[in-house]
Amino acid sequence: MMLSRATRPALKAAAPLRTFATLREIEDRLKSIRNIEKITNTMKIVASTKLTRAQRAMTESRKYGQTSNAVFEQAETKPLEGDDKKTLIVVASSDKGLCGGIHSGLTKRVRRMLIEKPNADIVVLGEKCKAQLSRSNAKNIQLSFAGIGKDIPTFADAQAIADQISLLPTDYGSIQIVYNKFINATSYEATPIEAFSEEAIVASPNFAAFEIDDEVLSNLREYALSNALFWALAEGHACEQSARRNAMDNASKNAGDMITKYQILFNRTRQAVITGELVEIITGAAASEE
Amino acid sequence: MAFAWKASGLTYNKYLSVAARVVRRSLKDDKRLAAERRGEMELRFAKWNNGKQGDNKSVADANAASMAEAGPQSS
Repeated sequence: MMLSRATRPALKAAAPLRTFATLREIEDRLKSIRNIEKITNTMKIVASTKLTRAQRAMTESRKYGQTSNAVFEQAETKPLEGDDKKTLIVVASSDKGLCGGIHSGLTKRVRRMLIEKPNADIVVLGEKCKAQLSRSNAKNIQLSFAGIGKDIPTFADAQAIADQISLLPTDYGSIQIVYNKFINATSYEATPIEAFSEEAIVASPNFAAFEIDDEVLSNLREYALSNALFWALAEGHACEQSARRNAMDNASKNAGDMITKYQILFNRTRQAVITGELVEIITGAAASEE
Repeated sequence: MAFAWKASGLTYNKYLSVAARVVRRSLKDDKRLAAERRGEMELRFAKWNNGKQGDNKSVADANAASMAEAGPQSS
C-alpha cells in the first residue's frame, strides 16, 4: 500500500509528458522502480524462509485438529438443525497485508454465509478482515482480535481466543471457523470447519460409544474449539506466507519489466538528445563557414 | 466429580495453559527457551457493540479478570 501510494504522483506527472520527458525525469523514475524491486525481492525472500516454517507448523497442527475431530466423526456428530440457536462465524485472517487476495477471499466467503444466516454473529481474528467486514457487516461483529500473524500462531493464542469466545453471553448452536485451506502453493480456498456445541455432541447418534461424564463434556467442547482454532490459524498462516511469496514474486517480475521498458526509453531519449545537439552544432558550423 | 480448578473459576483451556506453563518451566534451560516461545501470547481484542468497536484490551488481562470474577462462586 505504502509503496504504490508513494509512486503514484510521479506516475501522474510522467504520463502526460511522456514524449517530452527529460532524461533526468526518466532517470529518477528508473531509480525509484529499482528501489521498489529491491524491497519486493527482499520481502519475497523473507516470506520464502517463513513459509517453510509455517508449512511445517501447518502439517503438525492439521494432524492435531484432525485427531481432535476423529472423536466427532466416530460419534457421527452433526451440527444441530433448527433456527432457534444462533450461529457464530469465526474468521481466521491476520494483521498483515501485501499478500494478494487471501483476506478478501475469506471476507467474500463470510458475506456469502451471512446471506444465508443474516443474524449470525462474527468474531474476527486479525485486522485485515476486520476492516473489510466492519464496512459491510459491522452490526454482526461481536469480538475482534489483533496481534495475529506476527509469527507462527501458538496454541496459547488459540486457547486465549477460545476462552474469550466461550465467555460470550450468547449460547451458540454452531460455531463455524472460516479459514484458508492450503490446497497447493498457488491456490487456497476459504473453508469453514465446524466446532460443535454441547447439545450437538450429546445428540450425536453414536455418542454412547464413548463414556463421557456430563461434567467433562464442556471441557471437551472448549478443548475441541481451541484445537480447531489452532488448526485454522496455523493453516491460514501458511497460506498467507505462501500468498505473500507469490505476490512479491509477481511484483518483482513486474518491476523488472518496467525497468527494461524505462531503460529502453532512457537510451532512446539520450540518443535523441545527442542527435539533436549534433544537428545543432553541424548546422551552426555550416552557417558560420559561409 | 467436581474439579477444583473449575470451582475456582478457571476454564479448561486456562487449566491446560497453566499446566503447560509449569511443564515448560521445569525443562532444562536450552529446551526451555524454545518451548517457552511456543507459549507466548500477545493478542489484543476489542468488544463490538452495535457496529461500533470498543477499546482494545489485552486478552491475557481480560481472561485473568473474568476468571477472577467467576472465582468466588463455589460449586
